[in-house]
Amino acid sequence: MTFGTLRTKWFWYSILCIACWGTWALLAKLGSEEISPNASQFLFAFGALPVALVLLARRRMKMEKDAKGIAYSIANGILSGIGSWAVFAAYRTGGNAAVITTVTAMYPLITVILAVAILRERLTRVHLIGLGFAVVAFVIFSL
Amino acid sequence: MNIPPWLFLASLVLFCWGIVGLLQKLSTNRVSAESALIWLVVGFLLLTPVFYPGRSVFDHSRRSLLDILACSALNALGALALFAAMKNGGKASIVVPLTALYPLVVVVSAPLVLHQSITLLQGCGVACALTAVVLLST
Repeated sequence: MTFGTLRTKWFWYSILCIACWGTWALLAKLGSEEISPNASQFLFAFGALPVALVLLARRRMKMEKDAKGIAYSIANGILSGIGSWAVFAAYRTGGNAAVITTVTAMYPLITVILAVAILRERLTRVHLIGLGFAVVAFVIFSL
Repeated sequence: MNIPPWLFLASLVLFCWGIVGLLQKLSTNRVSAESALIWLVVGFLLLTPVFYPGRSVFDHSRRSLLDILACSALNALGALALFAAMKNGGKASIVVPLTALYPLVVVVSAPLVLHQSITLLQGCGVACALTAVVLLST
């Protein structure tokens, strides 16, 4: 990245993404201090609904009709939901929010392994080094 | 080794979201990112009967309820910002690892907002984990 990057739209959208997801994690921790993981996940679905409705309106209610694409996306939602339930439950244990957020952000670890096993993608040297760092992080947090 | 309870739950998150990473790729090969996000919310809604906690859902302070609703909206907005970054010329190989650094927001602000600090050992773990996140997202 160069200084010129600061003038690009994509860079600031990326920063906006970091700000949204970082604040999401903070608010999830704050909310889960009082609200059970079940109730949190129940409410979570309705919090995302307005964003989906705005997107739907912007597309004038037109959606692609690829059955497999839709099935993958819905499965995505169900697994994301179970994952975020576990995030709320992890925060509620009273563990350190910074540590929990960082550990749960390591999910590309599983994606990379599954992509190699299922999609027959190749594991690069960078991925292997990343896996090594992930293992070290897990060992440290288990001490 | 004394594995803390949160680490088991975090492992469940890794497993679920790890599969999500794969499904995201498969779904956006077939439908637009925006459609994928709309159907993802449908998936969330399908889960609501499973997690429905009864009327007690409203027996909480307004502040906590707003925290959870806002965190959900921010999660979806973050995904939209990620798609927008890629649509506006950002290369996935740069944008994805860059946005994977979002835990830094929590690491930096947790002492102020949550009054939680991390030990030196935890700090080393966080540094290793963040490095892993960036490398694995490349």
